[in-house]
Amino acid sequence: MAQEKMLTGCSAAAQALKLAEVEVICSYPIRPYTAIMMELSKMVANGELDAEFVHGEGEHAQLSVVLGASACGARAVTGSAGVGVTYAFELYSPVAGGRYPLQMTIADRTLDPPGDFGSEHTDAMSTRDQGWILGWASTPQEVFDNTLMGYRIGEDPRIMLPQMTCQDGYFISHIPDKVKLADLKQVKEFLPPYSAPHPISTTCPVSHGPQIRPDQGAPMDAQRAATFLDLPKVIKEATEDYNRIFGRNYDPFLEKYKLEDAEIAFFIQGAHSNTCRTAVDTLRKQGLKAGMARPRWVRPWPTREIAEALGHVKAVGSIETSTSYGGAMRGGNLIHELRASLYDLDERPLTTSFMAGLGGETIWPEDFEFMAKVLSQMVREKRAQKYVYWIGFEE
Amino acid sequence: MAKIHEITVWTRGVIMDKEGRDIASAFGDAVAMEGKHVQVFDNYEDLPDRVLVTTRKYVRISDEEIEHKYVYTNDHPDVVVVAEPTIVKGINVLKGLKEGGLLIINTNRPIDYMLQFIPNADELGAIATVDADGISGVRTIDFSGSEGGVDAVGVGAGIAAPIVGAMARVTGMAKKENLAKIVKDVAGMERGYNEVKLQKFRKFKSSLGSLQG
Repeated sequence: MAQEKMLTGCSAAAQALKLAEVEVICSYPIRPYTAIMMELSKMVANGELDAEFVHGEGEHAQLSVVLGASACGARAVTGSAGVGVTYAFELYSPVAGGRYPLQMTIADRTLDPPGDFGSEHTDAMSTRDQGWILGWASTPQEVFDNTLMGYRIGEDPRIMLPQMTCQDGYFISHIPDKVKLADLKQVKEFLPPYSAPHPISTTCPVSHGPQIRPDQGAPMDAQRAATFLDLPKVIKEATEDYNRIFGRNYDPFLEKYKLEDAEIAFFIQGAHSNTCRTAVDTLRKQGLKAGMARPRWVRPWPTREIAEALGHVKAVGSIETSTSYGGAMRGGNLIHELRASLYDLDERPLTTSFMAGLGGETIWPEDFEFMAKVLSQMVREKRAQKYVYWIGFEE
Repeated sequence: MAKIHEITVWTRGVIMDKEGRDIASAFGDAVAMEGKHVQVFDNYEDLPDRVLVTTRKYVRISDEEIEHKYVYTNDHPDVVVVAEPTIVKGINVLKGLKEGGLLIINTNRPIDYMLQFIPNADELGAIATVDADGISGVRTIDFSGSEGGVDAVGVGAGIAAPIVGAMARVTGMAKKENLAKIVKDVAGMERGYNEVKLQKFRKFKSSLGSLQG
């Protein structure tokens, strides 16, 4: 029987990586993700995990090391947080373009200036156009599960793409919660060994990442884009297998909470969805038909699923835990794609966005009540007054 | 919302970080043994990996389930514990203290001497001192490493033991017998319990657990 333990998100990630039998690990410290590497290094030192543990001299080196490892056919993992994620930026496109299905495990941290440990999703969100599979967990349990699902999806021969499995710093990475672990037998059934199609080899030489001509660039981009069209199918298969083998109940793309008869809905990813769910219950006790949709993956973006789940709602508020300065909606990132997902509907919900939880601030139940008031007003007036509300800065 | 008692422990990075954590976790575990709901955690914003910086550890105690876990500071402590006495010279450790709250300092100096460094002592209900360094004979045992580090030496082997003993005596929130099941240095804990000195002030309230002299 699979054990149940109280684990932080960091420990949960390490436990899943151990069960995935990762072969190459490359670390460089930065809070809050560091604890994942500390746990992994203990496992390697104690002989519980047979992996090569490499200390990178920075995040750029970390990504370079795992790129090489993955090119040789190893199941590789690295990770980071905050400015560490952005320091590695050059490597994101080569890793995805080279189709190396390694995993980067991220505990979000606010970017500088001036330096703050709090969770904010801008670090990993800013990599969203680099061709990686990108998604957020909302509990340590989901961190564990997404880590295993990430490899299965990314290493699928139809996909071959790297994955970023993200968790909010502190809120998930540092607060223990109940985590149902898994048996190695279950993991083996779910996750076949990684098999690289053209591994770097001394006996059978191959070229990886050579310089190409301009006319060879567009076909590679088109191929990558086509792979992303296949991704939803593979994610659906993997999630269904995972639910069956491990006894979970994940929706592949969107957690839908009390949406069936909802008139207003919150659209939110990550840790604060836990508070949001409680707020939905409170609002419903007050007679307001509220609901919540939580995307599990940002890349691929679940366009169709969002239209289906939120089409009937009268007003949707996107809660933005990342910034897009000067963007179309003047605030965060999710709202742009949320609106685009709803645009083709004959009758579409009104939308607005709320900047909240930036710099690692807690989003309080009262904040959700304020947002609900704004959304209700939009329903009454049949229009949105503003593109964005900054929680804590509004009159 | 549940009524919550908050304890804040002040300590210093690296050299005393484990002791601070031991104080919070041993005391929290002992309280939990009485069936109370307890949260124990580090201050996430502090820098435990930098030598001698002040770091904070927190305990929250309630009769009901503590719903909210996303708030990472104790803003209104009932009890403040200072594991290294010079901290009071530079930092307002009583910030946010509930009126009539309690301050416990690890020091061998007289209470009156310590009070000269605490300009807002009039907010206190009582102050207590315990000479944990004298009792333990060692300042700290080991740096176990925050954030998932190895903790091979066990909990409460250094100054944490007499300090939690003193805390049990003056707050009445935890039982000495339960602490004895948790800390490694049981004799040190007992000495802290017996040797703690307490001075009550005008704002002293007995509502703080069953505060004992």
